[in-house]
Amino acid sequence: MSWWNRLSNLVRREDLGRDLDEELQFHIDARIRDNLKAGMTEEAARLDARRRFGNRTLATEKTQEMNIIVIIQTVGQDLRYALRSLRKTPGFTALAVLAMALGIGANTAVFTVVNGVLLRPLPLVQPERLFLISYMPRVGPFAGWPTLSDHDYFEYQRRTHAFERVTTFYQAQVTLTGAGDAVRLRAAVVTPSFFPVLRVSPAMGRTFAAQEEERGSPGVAVLSEELWRSRFAADPNILGRSITVDGIKRSVIGVMPAGFAFPGDARLWLPLAVDGAGPNSAFWPAFGRLQPSVSQRQAQAELEALAPQLPWQHVMAAAGAPARNGWVAEILPLQDLLVGQIRKSLLIFMGAVAFVLLIACANVANLMLMKGSLRRQEMAVRTALGAPRRRLIRQLLTESAMLSLGGAIAGLLFAILGVRALLALAPAGIIPRVAEIRLDARVIGFALGLGAVTGILFGLLPAVQATGRELRTFLSQAGRAVTGRGEGLRSVLVISEIALTLVLLTGAGLLLKSFLRMRAVDPGFRAENVLTMTVDLPGSLYKTTAGIQAFHALTLDKLSNLPGVLAAGAVNFLPLSNGVMWGLFHLYDGRPTPGYMVDKPAVSSEYFRVMGIRLLSGRAFSGQDNSTAPRVAIISQSVARTFWPGGDALGQRLTLEDHPKSGNEDWLTIIGVVDDVRQWSLTEKAHPAIYQPYAQVRRPLFLTSMTFAIRTAAQPASLAAAMRCVLREVDRNQPPQSIATMTDLVATTIAEPQFQTRLIAIFSMLALLLAAIGVYGVLACAVAERTREIGIRMALGAEKSDITRMILRRCLLLATVGVALGVAGALAVTRVLAKFLFEVKPTDLPTFLVVAALLVAVALLSGLLPAQRATRVDPLIALRWE
Amino acid sequence: MRKHTNDRLQGTLDMLVLKALASQGRMHGYAVTLRIEQISASVLRLEEGSLYPALHRMTQSGWLRAEWGASENNRRARYYSITPSGRKQLAEEERHWAQLTEAVTRVLRFV
Repeated sequence: MSWWNRLSNLVRREDLGRDLDEELQFHIDARIRDNLKAGMTEEAARLDARRRFGNRTLATEKTQEMNIIVIIQTVGQDLRYALRSLRKTPGFTALAVLAMALGIGANTAVFTVVNGVLLRPLPLVQPERLFLISYMPRVGPFAGWPTLSDHDYFEYQRRTHAFERVTTFYQAQVTLTGAGDAVRLRAAVVTPSFFPVLRVSPAMGRTFAAQEEERGSPGVAVLSEELWRSRFAADPNILGRSITVDGIKRSVIGVMPAGFAFPGDARLWLPLAVDGAGPNSAFWPAFGRLQPSVSQRQAQAELEALAPQLPWQHVMAAAGAPARNGWVAEILPLQDLLVGQIRKSLLIFMGAVAFVLLIACANVANLMLMKGSLRRQEMAVRTALGAPRRRLIRQLLTESAMLSLGGAIAGLLFAILGVRALLALAPAGIIPRVAEIRLDARVIGFALGLGAVTGILFGLLPAVQATGRELRTFLSQAGRAVTGRGEGLRSVLVISEIALTLVLLTGAGLLLKSFLRMRAVDPGFRAENVLTMTVDLPGSLYKTTAGIQAFHALTLDKLSNLPGVLAAGAVNFLPLSNGVMWGLFHLYDGRPTPGYMVDKPAVSSEYFRVMGIRLLSGRAFSGQDNSTAPRVAIISQSVARTFWPGGDALGQRLTLEDHPKSGNEDWLTIIGVVDDVRQWSLTEKAHPAIYQPYAQVRRPLFLTSMTFAIRTAAQPASLAAAMRCVLREVDRNQPPQSIATMTDLVATTIAEPQFQTRLIAIFSMLALLLAAIGVYGVLACAVAERTREIGIRMALGAEKSDITRMILRRCLLLATVGVALGVAGALAVTRVLAKFLFEVKPTDLPTFLVVAALLVAVALLSGLLPAQRATRVDPLIALRWE
Repeated sequence: MRKHTNDRLQGTLDMLVLKALASQGRMHGYAVTLRIEQISASVLRLEEGSLYPALHRMTQSGWLRAEWGASENNRRARYYSITPSGRKQLAEEERHWAQLTEAVTRVLRFV
């Protein structure tokens, strides 16, 4: 009877009781029938049957007891036996549990993160019915962020039937003043439909009403419970109270329930007006709740059908951009808003740790095989005494299950530390939903499940092996010099360890090379000794271009007069930070520029000098290029090359407006050409750019966010306090959005690949270590088993070097076969890394060669110790051995 | 669950049941009782109810296989048959029994 049946017996006790009753009744009835046949009276027949049967209740109880006792006895016996056997070999047990704990711990740590980020549902009502609506260019700076332009949103929300309601929002940082010290808060600017779509009602007051969507409506705000508590002392009369956000007075109309902070830790919600008017478009996330009867696929079909009619398309087409090409319409789970970028990374980490676990399993299986070969005597004796093979296998499996469960429990402890280390290693902001990352039932189940599965994985083969048929011959040979299948199996396991390690190492090598390439990229500016400070001016206080420019001019002037500052400049969109103005331009000579999009930064006159951006021809901006002077522009090298390949760009004219006014007003004269700058990221080719002097920019929108940059003589970070001081002197109510050295900003942009590289490198080092232990173990065991053979060889005149060579040759064979298989595996697998590799192919030959060489070297190193031990064999002792 | 081989009384019942099933094939509990009565020429009378704990225990130990079937007069009855491992056990019990009786006979002869 299988274990399963026995365990289910325990559960189905009632059924069994009924069955047993029926069985006993049948016996009694049969006896009565026979008695009647023999001529007894009905009464006598019954009496006799009952007398012969004895105490029926007792029989029932005893039988039921039997069924349970047997289970408990066998399980208990197996467990006791396993424990005793494990206690007898503490070194083996500790090593095996440690290996499993490392493997399971690493897996559980990564799974804890995956669980929190990808698997746990968003803490919202029926989050599985919430979907993002995205219509975006496939390439370009916003690719991969599921958003919808405000024009499209306006049109889409009127036409869609798939969604009950849709909403759009953006996240912002705002300054709250007048409630304690001024503080920067995460806020979400949302349409009135935002809360109804999420089906969340305020704990107090109300959320935004439809008319509050209109521009120019009186200022209102909704607070999070957390903010209400921390800043307003949970004031029960908060409704109607006036607060100041970015300098605007707003009255509090509601407080959300505790725990609600969507999207991403928002503390404050402000109303968003979407009118779909105006020439410019903003790209915001949009989502909605699907109608009950509509599936994601149907919504997708509807969006695809609607997409060609959406207006942004026409705006682009009118401006000469390629119409539909390269735009993707997608309906995505709302979760993707937070996790879209990290998902693939996490899955790759999962894959990498799974490899580590497999290697750990192979290692423990090897240990078990070695132990098994030492226990052949015991197994042979037990078989001879009539123990069925199944029983022995079950016994050995119990032992490996105990090992792996021990490993799982220790692994859980490792995982708790591991998750902490992982989150500490991860650059800030890369892992979303951090608050959701914690040990829960699913994580514990995962670890224990892994324990159970791995127990069978590494236990079955050794168990089958240890109880194999040749046991019968074992006793007759008196345990002498039996090698063979055990050794072969161990070699196979070590070879697979090496192969798996090679795959991991190759992945790490590729990522490392790619990361080094990234770091070596010339961004087009010199980041050293540059300190930056970004200031967002609230449009409410700085309404006019002149006002904003006055603020900037004063700040720049004070900054350039700071001691230790060589030059001070400003730009509205700093390279490698978020965002830029991006769009089309037109040439005065009428040549078409279809679809040619350029970055349009506005910069101060000293900007190029501060950032070390090379001026290739013409002149830089100067103080004379002010709002009354003729309008000028500086173009980047790639614009010059594309439109003026002859090098005659200087003096030509262009406009950044889609519909330039007649006359000279909107036309800019090119006065210089500068080097290309990587504006978006180090890994993305430099975009063509057209710079304007910021004094000539007219729309306040382009100026409200400005980054000041200073080139310093000494350590840039040492001037951070002085920079902050300057800002306070100019306007004490404007906190800096951020102050950071340019080198730090550059490092931040490659923080994610760095994190990936480090993590995969750690996993592959772990794998390498385990594989080295594996190689060592197999060779050490082989040397021990072949002591006699080595003794004979030495007695016959073999030199020590011959013996060393013999062992190392075997080691080399194992390594070579493993590496060959590993290379094949790596070729198949490294493709998944392609998306993360920069200027490195997944099949990069040098990486493969270096990794293979490294692995062979490590294998040889771990073979050295057993090889040396082999040479120390004394032939006399060896021959007398056994 | 092999300890009870030392328990002579229980071992004897086991042996008788195994022997009956080994010679007769598939039987229900009542038939086993009749068979034991018959071969021991009614000398060995056992309390019939005590047969069932033994049958169930031996099934759990894998010596017997149990299944439900229809009896001669078409009632549902639980049928038992012996497994290979049960035959091994029977051989073992018989060997022990022989040893024991031999030992007892020897003792009786000497005393």
